[in-house]
Amino acid sequence: MNGPQFVLSAFVVTWLTASLRLAGPVLLAALGETFAEQSGVLNIGIEGTILLGALTSFLVSYYTGMIWLSLFAAVFAGIAANIFLAWMYVTVRASQVVAGLVFNVLAVGVASVVYRKALGNSAVPESIAMFHPLHIPFFSNISGIGPVVFGQTILFYLTIALAFAAHFVLFRTNFGLALRASGENPAAADSAGISVSRMRYAGTLISGAAAGMAGGYLVLAQVGLFRESIVSGQGFIALAIVIFGRWNPLKATVAAMVFGACDALQLSLQIFGTRVPPQLLLALPYVVTILAISGLFGGKAVQPTALMTPYVKD
Amino acid sequence: MFVTAFLFLSYGASPWQAYYALFHEPFGTLRGFGYALVRTSPLSLIALGTIVSWRSGFAYLGFEGCFVLGAAATSWLALLTGPGERVGPVSFFLFLPLAILFGFLAGGVWAGLVGLVRARLGGNEVLISLMANYVAIFILQYLVGGPMRAPGSLPETRLLPRTTWLPFILPGTRAHAGILIAIAAAGLVWMLLQKMPLGYEMIVTGFNAAAARYAGIDVARRILLAAFFAGGLGGLAGMVEVLGSQHRLMDGISGGVGFVGIVVALLARLNPLAAIPTALLYGGLSVGADAMQRRASIPSSITFILQSLAVLFVLAFDALRYYKINLPGFSPRTPPPVADEASR
Amino acid sequence: MKHTLEMKNIVKRFPGVLANNNVNFTLQAGEIHALLGENGAGKSTLMQILYGFHAMDSGEIWIDGERVHLGSPKDAIALGIGMVYQEFMLVRRFSVVENTVLGLRERGALLDLQRASEELKELSNRHGLALDPAAEVGSLPIGVQQRVEILKLLYRDARLLILDEPTAVLTPQEKDHLFAVLRKLREDGRSVVLVTHKLNEIMEIADRVTVMRDGQAVATRAIGSTSGQELTRLMVGREVNLRAEKSIRKRGAPILQIENLRVQDETGHEKVRGLSLEVHAGEILGIAGVDGNGQSELAEAVMHLREIKSGRVLLNGADVTGLSVAKHRGAGISYVPADRRHVGSVTEMTVADNAILGLQRKYTRGLFRGIREARESALGLVARFGIRTAGIDFAAGKLSGGNLQKLILGREIMRGSAALVVEHPTRGLDVGAVEAVWGELLRAQQEGKAILLISAELEELLNLADRIAVMFEGRIMGVVDAAGASVEEIGLMMAGIMPGSAPAAAGPAQEARHRETL
Repeated sequence: MNGPQFVLSAFVVTWLTASLRLAGPVLLAALGETFAEQSGVLNIGIEGTILLGALTSFLVSYYTGMIWLSLFAAVFAGIAANIFLAWMYVTVRASQVVAGLVFNVLAVGVASVVYRKALGNSAVPESIAMFHPLHIPFFSNISGIGPVVFGQTILFYLTIALAFAAHFVLFRTNFGLALRASGENPAAADSAGISVSRMRYAGTLISGAAAGMAGGYLVLAQVGLFRESIVSGQGFIALAIVIFGRWNPLKATVAAMVFGACDALQLSLQIFGTRVPPQLLLALPYVVTILAISGLFGGKAVQPTALMTPYVKD
Repeated sequence: MFVTAFLFLSYGASPWQAYYALFHEPFGTLRGFGYALVRTSPLSLIALGTIVSWRSGFAYLGFEGCFVLGAAATSWLALLTGPGERVGPVSFFLFLPLAILFGFLAGGVWAGLVGLVRARLGGNEVLISLMANYVAIFILQYLVGGPMRAPGSLPETRLLPRTTWLPFILPGTRAHAGILIAIAAAGLVWMLLQKMPLGYEMIVTGFNAAAARYAGIDVARRILLAAFFAGGLGGLAGMVEVLGSQHRLMDGISGGVGFVGIVVALLARLNPLAAIPTALLYGGLSVGADAMQRRASIPSSITFILQSLAVLFVLAFDALRYYKINLPGFSPRTPPPVADEASR
Repeated sequence: MKHTLEMKNIVKRFPGVLANNNVNFTLQAGEIHALLGENGAGKSTLMQILYGFHAMDSGEIWIDGERVHLGSPKDAIALGIGMVYQEFMLVRRFSVVENTVLGLRERGALLDLQRASEELKELSNRHGLALDPAAEVGSLPIGVQQRVEILKLLYRDARLLILDEPTAVLTPQEKDHLFAVLRKLREDGRSVVLVTHKLNEIMEIADRVTVMRDGQAVATRAIGSTSGQELTRLMVGREVNLRAEKSIRKRGAPILQIENLRVQDETGHEKVRGLSLEVHAGEILGIAGVDGNGQSELAEAVMHLREIKSGRVLLNGADVTGLSVAKHRGAGISYVPADRRHVGSVTEMTVADNAILGLQRKYTRGLFRGIREARESALGLVARFGIRTAGIDFAAGKLSGGNLQKLILGREIMRGSAALVVEHPTRGLDVGAVEAVWGELLRAQQEGKAILLISAELEELLNLADRIAVMFEGRIMGVVDAAGASVEEIGLMMAGIMPGSAPAAAGPAQEARHRETL
């Protein structure tokens, strides 16, 4: 391979590897949110939940060094935080947008306070224990896509597996059918003997668990540190991915890859030193998101019919 | 309240001391009050923007973006009139209306774009406006890091010419005329919603778009208008902050006020007359929080917790009392299991 | 005689209303029992308690000699009770089989749609309810959707079926088919409770009837030993022959002309297919037809609330087809929509604000709203139309259905328009409100307005209209004079059959013939 070709293929490899890596957490959060929205709840609070999950996983890893424990702690934190949110959404029937937004503000406050308290005056560590990329033997040696697809961290593969699992649960089980009915026509679900409240609690808690885990993913497999700006809108991007993926876990996976690619493009171009102002590329994923959900490409007719409408039994 | 008292204790400070610092500074001292007023101006403008848009059925969340772009537009205008610049020093009476216009337009067009997407394409304005905030912030970062940057390494512009500053109105404090603009805006918003047929139409659209269409109201136009007004108010908030308080454009100039303003509007129950008093309370609290941090070394972000918990509890009590905040498209609708209300 | 079901001394209170006041109700195996009463009599509440949807305040329910507790629909389903609501409880996006299987517990976690489809097919054939298990429910016609609802119950082996106003959305022929199914269920030993206010149907199919009035069970009769008059008297407490006082009025010039209108719905289906009509001054032209044959699309198109693909609408000779909704009103067409709560009014706003809905540009003083004039107008409206409300500053949502309808109707009449389009004005109203609305419509006719009345109640059309046009699948099947019309003839046309011809969709030759009769 001559010079330019080599540079190009190196660029592409770096770019794709980064794409998949960056897509992981967002996809994970989107998978959970799909459950929430299919049950009729728009959980904007996943942005804050991811932050709390990230914080939790960081602290646990900092103190114990055990990465799997940190991950589970993040999941647990996500669930715990969303119990309150679920209560607001389903039982109190507060406006889902408002409750979610305010929760995000609350999460920022809590994260900031707890982080400073925990670290106190000690120096910020260089890095904490992290997941390292697996190199699946043989497959990762295939030239070209080998290292890209098969050299990711285990969390990535776990997320892909979860995508398939999510699809199965949603469309092939009784639970999934009942959940979707709660989001399509809660009155019908109720008259069929399904507890709409329970389904919506379940949906919200699942999205909380996934978002918490996504926070752990960010810290433990991507950044290695906690920063207050570590989430920076990725929760909202996850929301967009749910729409872009038409509330279908498998399509969401594809959508997440697209976003990861945009995000990675910005990083890769920087590494390879181009003259484009960095902010332009940083903004790219957000612009793509906006275009995707602007309705230019349809999508409104496919959303769960009862999304965002609280169910009031007479 | 108890939760935060608990938090205070964990910092080894007495809750009473902390509360005292929280409230005394902004409402007990003149200087603190001045600072509170400074914070109140942009907050109340954004709250008013929220009120206009949400009550019209347009759940806009992009005030961060409007704020930032409004600040950028007015800074650009202000820098133009600096000594030695192309336009040269200009009378403040000429400058002020122009600045208001620029700030309003910048925010209005920005929000108007989202309104267009919603009205013509049916896009979800909640998510789009959230995303757009980030785009606007990136634009700001680009501007202060590049074309508008002052010599030096900081991402900020030069100090704006003195002739463009909003006058100080309370001697001995930094309180500036922005609060007067906010008060005027509150009056105008109130008049629009209560007293003008346009406002009536916007409110009907906010309650029920189908009924609005039935009544001959051009729903798409009203939403667009609501977006424009709301964004304009957000842009004004940016203008007020940059010309009255910061006097230069910089990265991070918004400080999250775009979201806090929404929270203020919610606490004010989307009532324009309550917007300024509520904003004052919030502005005061944040001033007090800073004071508290200095005195008792409790981080000021605790106020985030205080504020959000307050809103959440208000929300919960409200809903439990069946007084639902009528948010566009989000009001609970009872699915009728049997024909109309009469069959029982 | 052994009772399958006994409901004893049922009491149920809602805020401000005693819906069920010590009600006793019994049911036998293999019986079709009608539950008769006006809107608000309490029959739906009683059945919802039986189905576990509501909890009763006090009382006892016995099934097959054992006392039972029905805390939720799940309990009812387990005991073999099933209910078909007036508004179907179907998930439109799901298929027939998915809807059927929804909520079943015993099958384990995984969905086995294959097996369920086969079972469903067998069941549907056995009961004469033909269905395609894989079809998406939202795309099925209403009559077929009802079949799905009934099959859902049979799939769970319901022994006691409750049907709430089942014939409201059926053509006369579909109704016959339904009754045949019910008779077969009766032979099977199942029991059916038919909640309805349609006397003729009760006389046709029921074995016994229980009449409810104002929350009480007033009487129970065997069908053979009672009459329509007696039942009506029991139902309303007085002899009522709903007959409107119509004076003959010579009809004037055509005011509203619809020419060859073609309208599509959101999915691209043509709902109005080349329809032409004329409504004259001082005339009420009724449009009969089962819901869903294009009537709402027609009404909306006339007001330009819906896009018109081709054709014209003329008012007093002027072409108003493409004008905005506001301009339509200005030109002189008023519209009373079918949905009084979600289209015709804004329930969260006050009565005063609703009284000027659509008129907000008229009550202005320069740049500002003319609030005083608006309030005066509202007070006038309330007085003239006898609207019972605590005050014009209360939310319109608090008005009862009848009063809200009067508000909307009154507002549209007071505009002084030349033409009035009215859609299902008395849906869900009690007898008193119906009489009031009819009175207003006739008065408007006397004033020379051209009224297009769309209704699914043949009785209403026969009473009010001068001529009745029957709409089926977007076309006018025929126009008859109300005076000499036979219900049978109209019913056939509603089902798409020209009386005296083979059942087929109207072809171009027949359409030409129809045009001539207009």
